[in-house]
Amino acid sequence: MDLHLDPDELNACVQCGLCLPHCPTYRVSGDETLSPRGRIQLMREVQLRGAPVTVEVRASFETCVQCRGCEPACPSGVPYGHLIEKTRETLAREAPGSTRWSRLLLAPLGRPGLLRLGSSALAVAARLRLAPKRFGVPTSLPVRRRPHTTSGDDVYLFTGCVMDAWQRDVHIAGQRVIEAAGFGVTPTGDAAPCCGALHSHAGLTDTTRRFAENMIAALRVDDRPILVDSAGCGAAMKDYGRLLGTREADAFSARVFDIQEWLALHVDRLPVVEPLDLTVAVQDPCHLRHVQRVHEATRIVLAPMVRDLVELDDEGLCCGAGGAYSLLQPELAGEIRGRKLGSIARAAPDVVASANPGCSMHLGAAGVATMHPMELIARALDVSPARTPAAPPPR
Amino acid sequence: MRIRESFTPWRRRVVDPLVADLRAALSVDRVRIDGAERALMARDASVFAGGVAGPTCFPVSTAEVQAIMGIAAAHGRAIVPRGAGTGLAGGAIPLGAPIVVSTGKMNRILEVDTANRVAWVEPGVINLDLTTHLTPVGFHFAPDPSSQSVCTLGGNVANNSGGPHCLAYGVTDAHVLAVEVVSADGEVLMLGGLDAEPAGLDLRGAFVGGEGTLGIATRIAVRLTKNAPAVRTLLLSFATVRDAAETVSAIIAAGIVPAALEVMDQRITVAVENFVGAGYPTDAAAVLLAEVEGLAAGVDIDAARIDEIGRANGATGVRLAGTEHERALLWKGRKTAFGAIAQLAPDYYLHDTVVPRSALADVLEQVYEIAERHDLVVMNVFHAGDGNLHPLLLFDAREEGTLERVHAAGAEIVRASLAAGGVLSGEHGIGVEKQRFMGELFTDDDLDHQARLRHAFDPACRANPGKVLPSGHSCADIQALHEVPTGVWG
Repeated sequence: MDLHLDPDELNACVQCGLCLPHCPTYRVSGDETLSPRGRIQLMREVQLRGAPVTVEVRASFETCVQCRGCEPACPSGVPYGHLIEKTRETLAREAPGSTRWSRLLLAPLGRPGLLRLGSSALAVAARLRLAPKRFGVPTSLPVRRRPHTTSGDDVYLFTGCVMDAWQRDVHIAGQRVIEAAGFGVTPTGDAAPCCGALHSHAGLTDTTRRFAENMIAALRVDDRPILVDSAGCGAAMKDYGRLLGTREADAFSARVFDIQEWLALHVDRLPVVEPLDLTVAVQDPCHLRHVQRVHEATRIVLAPMVRDLVELDDEGLCCGAGGAYSLLQPELAGEIRGRKLGSIARAAPDVVASANPGCSMHLGAAGVATMHPMELIARALDVSPARTPAAPPPR
Repeated sequence: MRIRESFTPWRRRVVDPLVADLRAALSVDRVRIDGAERALMARDASVFAGGVAGPTCFPVSTAEVQAIMGIAAAHGRAIVPRGAGTGLAGGAIPLGAPIVVSTGKMNRILEVDTANRVAWVEPGVINLDLTTHLTPVGFHFAPDPSSQSVCTLGGNVANNSGGPHCLAYGVTDAHVLAVEVVSADGEVLMLGGLDAEPAGLDLRGAFVGGEGTLGIATRIAVRLTKNAPAVRTLLLSFATVRDAAETVSAIIAAGIVPAALEVMDQRITVAVENFVGAGYPTDAAAVLLAEVEGLAAGVDIDAARIDEIGRANGATGVRLAGTEHERALLWKGRKTAFGAIAQLAPDYYLHDTVVPRSALADVLEQVYEIAERHDLVVMNVFHAGDGNLHPLLLFDAREEGTLERVHAAGAEIVRASLAAGGVLSGEHGIGVEKQRFMGELFTDDDLDHQARLRHAFDPACRANPGKVLPSGHSCADIQALHEVPTGVWG
């Protein structure tokens, strides 16, 4: 089968293997079929030597979390993310098979009203313990949400789909922090309902392109920065230029900032506060660290806000959330999370700061106290200069 | 994850007895037979393409490795052990459709005993993972190959791996106290021991560096090295490669044994600097990275003397790494050197020979000359303290005839090293890469003795056949190697 991969991109790998330890699925399996080098070799077997796409080959491609931890580790600069995304796109189009589940799962994301209704129903079900356990639905999902308010037109705050339905409090905290730095914020709300990141991970790139075009059209009224507090969404929106290949999309992507990245540029405008009496471990979402590569900003903005900021000892290895991955590959996702939990236990923090909704829910489902960096900063701003309690509230 | 087998109508499914036996001994999902999956096993990190791999097994215990060996013997099949597949001499590629035994799932650190400075590990533990695990208690595993973030300890034992810091501490052999081995006939042997001087012949020493031809290590007792209280890292720049090489000889001659002495030439320094941005001088013809370890007062004296010797030998600049971050960056640059050059060409061939330190400068000049004559770009990075050369030839395998030129130049480099009184390999091993040169270093008598040692462990020549010893002295002519299996592998 022709996977439609760029021959130069496919040829770039020299099989040195330096990616292996940075791949979460290789780490938990010890199996090279589940490694970036192995997957690239399988792509070559399929595209160049006509190997059939067997169940095993397909499993290798579909078990990739797409964390892209292999990319910074690769001295040859192999664009692995493009390769796996294109492979999944071709498979989704030419051999749909198991992608129909992801299609179904992702269908509500572009319909915000429906999504909120469904998510409220899910929240009620979770409280009544009716939700299937394998989905790991947290009982803390909100049934009702506070409304968004616009405070000015300096920046957009992208609110997105699932995150807006499930973690709107993070957006509200982020907005509070940006406002404290002296900027007026416009939440994008239903004007730009979904970035399409999860779709492109599942190979449904056409949907992503459609969402990207809609969003660019919706936010083209002026050229103010677009702040994103979900690492996965930010990475996808910064990639619109490449995805659509238009000058307009390039210009749009240039306006996209991760919220920590942007705040780090203006951190001197925040008031000096009494740090929260907490030990906080930074968990870098993969798409912040490996794709956007702006994870240092999280440390810059958090350091003045908490007593102790500590690092995990796993060099940014994925937690296994991977957007919808934890639903589609629960077994592997659980094993990968197991490694992360070990790393968190060794750092012994009061709370883990994670700037991506998928990670915080995946870790939260295993009992880890997580907060978005913006929530921590908002709390520090709110309680200062009074002393703060030692433990975070349960989420 | 559960991997199901490809759907095949039951009438057409060939039930291969070998696969059935292996699956009964392990489990269905830990014996892989998919064609594309097995194709992955045909390559390691070298340029050598292997044959067709047989079933790939993922044992999790000594007992399972033993079972695999028994089944291989019963079916008259060879086995090839595989760690992370980062070898550069083709040691892990399959010849003669062997059963591939991956140690990927045998990756537990079993016991750490800091009082006796020993740890028991399984062969699939990644080299750097052991050191990271030991960091909180102040120890590390000394051999640090450039691939240490990936390569496994089982692979280190098989290849007697080196690394920059082996100058002061010795290569893997000096850090392995005992090895539990499953021999090709399925016997479990404990070679060596934790006593200071184990009785009898040093079979442990014979096994380390055996490249998988003597059996598979299933548990390894490694020596732990205490982290030095103080480290000083110097970066010296030179106007010629010869000045750098002569500085290295002068440092050793002065009685200093640094923890590491690494040289990179200008081309590779530029590539590394582009990749890491560690502050390497890109205008120097060569740089020398020197590291001394020990008590703070001692390392300061050593660092000052290296500075002095460097300047006396023409160093144009000497820089002492001021912070741990700066030091880490310099090492990151050195350790990713091989990968960094991959930005410059789609393929590279990394050689590995050793010459007497005093001959370094002369052999290096020959290396440049050989590469130029074959119209190839060469870069040099080497463990200078050990006289261990690593010339890198850049090429694009898609260009017709290039690979032949690369091999021809490589052969000349090996012969130049031998002519200078050197040896074939410092740390990568012989594998399939240097087999044909074995006869140029060793006499027939030497090779016969090596073959007899190998036969003592593996009389039927089933463990990694076709490697290390040249045919005539090896198992290359055994039936197993030529027998192309029929059935499920097409």
